[in-house]
Amino acid sequence: MGITRGLVITALFGIVLFLLIPAYVPRPRFIPGFAPPPDMWPRTVSILGMVLGILLVGLTFSRKTEAIADPEDARSIRGDTPLATLLMRFGWTVLAFVLFIGSVMLLGFLLSSILLLVAMLILTGYWRHKVVAAIVAVALPLVLYLFFSSALNTRFPVGSLFKAIGI
Amino acid sequence: MLNDLLVAFQAVATLENFLIMAAGIWGGVIIGAIPGMTGTMAVTLALPFTFYMQPIPSILLLVALYKGSTYGGSVSAILIKTPGTASAACTTLDGYPLAQQGKAGKALNMALYSSCTGDFISNLSLIFIAAPLALLALRIGPPEYFMLMIFALTTVAGVSGRSLLLGLVSACLGLLLATVGEDMYGSFRFDLTVDMQSGLAVAPVLIGLFAIPELLKIIVFRNNQNHKPMQLGDNHVTRDELRGSLKAMLKGSMIGVVMGAIPGIGPSAAAFSSYGEAQRSSKNRENFGKGELEGIAASESANNGCCGSTMIPLLALGVPGDVITGVMLGAFMIHGMTPGPMLFENNLHEVYMLFIGMLFSSVLLFGAGKATMRFFSHISRIPPGLMAPIVLALCVFGIFSISNSMYDVIVLLAMGVFGFFMFLFAIPAAPFLIAFILGPMLEENLRRALALSRGDPSILVSSPITWLFASLAIFVVVVTIRQQLKKANA
Repeated sequence: MGITRGLVITALFGIVLFLLIPAYVPRPRFIPGFAPPPDMWPRTVSILGMVLGILLVGLTFSRKTEAIADPEDARSIRGDTPLATLLMRFGWTVLAFVLFIGSVMLLGFLLSSILLLVAMLILTGYWRHKVVAAIVAVALPLVLYLFFSSALNTRFPVGSLFKAIGI
Repeated sequence: MLNDLLVAFQAVATLENFLIMAAGIWGGVIIGAIPGMTGTMAVTLALPFTFYMQPIPSILLLVALYKGSTYGGSVSAILIKTPGTASAACTTLDGYPLAQQGKAGKALNMALYSSCTGDFISNLSLIFIAAPLALLALRIGPPEYFMLMIFALTTVAGVSGRSLLLGLVSACLGLLLATVGEDMYGSFRFDLTVDMQSGLAVAPVLIGLFAIPELLKIIVFRNNQNHKPMQLGDNHVTRDELRGSLKAMLKGSMIGVVMGAIPGIGPSAAAFSSYGEAQRSSKNRENFGKGELEGIAASESANNGCCGSTMIPLLALGVPGDVITGVMLGAFMIHGMTPGPMLFENNLHEVYMLFIGMLFSSVLLFGAGKATMRFFSHISRIPPGLMAPIVLALCVFGIFSISNSMYDVIVLLAMGVFGFFMFLFAIPAAPFLIAFILGPMLEENLRRALALSRGDPSILVSSPITWLFASLAIFVVVVTIRQQLKKANA
């Protein structure tokens, strides 16, 4: 895993240094006094990050220094579960997050949270205790909604669907 | 002075003051234990209530809330690996593994003892060394700040995780993410969307990085199938364990006192530095990160060690060290008292009443911690498959309520996914977080120093204080590399 990790880190900082900084960190035409420009710090950190990434790759080639660069065995983290299964579970979770964010404006914060909680309980495997899971999925967001909106005056999005039907 | 303190003692020791402080401590512990709700939030929410109170009880209420929430952050950090406050993030490193081993009660007790010790020492330091420390803090300029933070970052990168290199990579990622938004001269950086112009708030990044990856681990690896309900279990900290952690506790308290007295550094950096120092000097350094009581003692004594000393620059110089003391400055002024050197001339009696009240609140913190421990322990009995979605709901609602913005919720979830990848690549999360918190100050002080020296970088090593911190940083790097190489060759 050491080489892959080192390459990913190098690539990540490289993208920031060569693509994102030129595009998203503007250099003002006039800088007062001797103040360094706004891109100085992100550039410095990105270069440092790239150097560390390259160092990680380099150190994995030597037995003596491998432990510094690659202290963990990826297999011990992953276990014996096939990679495809792991990726599928991860994909479903990220999809649930994305759908939650997308649905807030339509269904409102409360209903979207209930649906997110149902999805998470299914994904963690706890949904087999249907009664407890269903009570938690409905009651917890409801209690939190009432607490935050009354105690802290939080204005949660109601959702365009509910607005349209006059709730 | 002793006579003044005795008179102040009589004035503070009333039932009304005790009830106010007890309410503040309890409220703070509960708020601190809820992910997404911070001590700053507690103090800010309580501020309007203080308009109708006498000056000293109102300040004592705010101080009690601050102390309670600083300790409360450790409760959720230990039981559900979700630090209630940024300064408790370090406590998760050993607290949660102890809870998994069925020693949650031991971890909570150690956190409480350390918090109270740090708090008490911090209060004593406020009383006796406020003026000298405030003078020292005044001598620290931009180059000294920069070097101090570099030292704090290298310490954290070296001790959290098994590889210094990965720790430094993590710190670089944190520093880079901290540059998102408006910089000190008004330039916008990495503003891919309009929301990103305001940067990334600490709370969603912190909670996303520590709490959400736990949910993802449970879902992806399904390692919760054979869950045994966690008990408070081994509840008592033995005399030997307490003796073994005493050095870390006292050292952590002093680190907290010194770092709390410097405006802007704060309890998070103090906790991580103390943890690093404890690990470096401990006989059990191999056990750090796997459930070591010394780690909890170091982290908790340091973060509560800041509580009293953050009042030093506020009272002696009128300079608030962080957001919470900023709110307190407002409370002082509402009641017609102006913090600064003149406060000791004009309101000496009130200042001593505040000192005594703060000492009382350390004792109350102990009582509140003991009383709430059993209540909070029930949380750890909930199976992870149910607990993780509950934590997610708490985080989502709590984060949304901070700024009534979906942007923060998106940051929370995105940071969760990012934190999961960091876990897969064995990149430690702690250096990332501390770099993210210190990043803006680090950059600001570097740019200020360079502007002062007309671009000459030698200003960064121009004073004995900068030399001291630079040498300490190099020392930490060399010692860590030597230790890791020795371990690899063994």
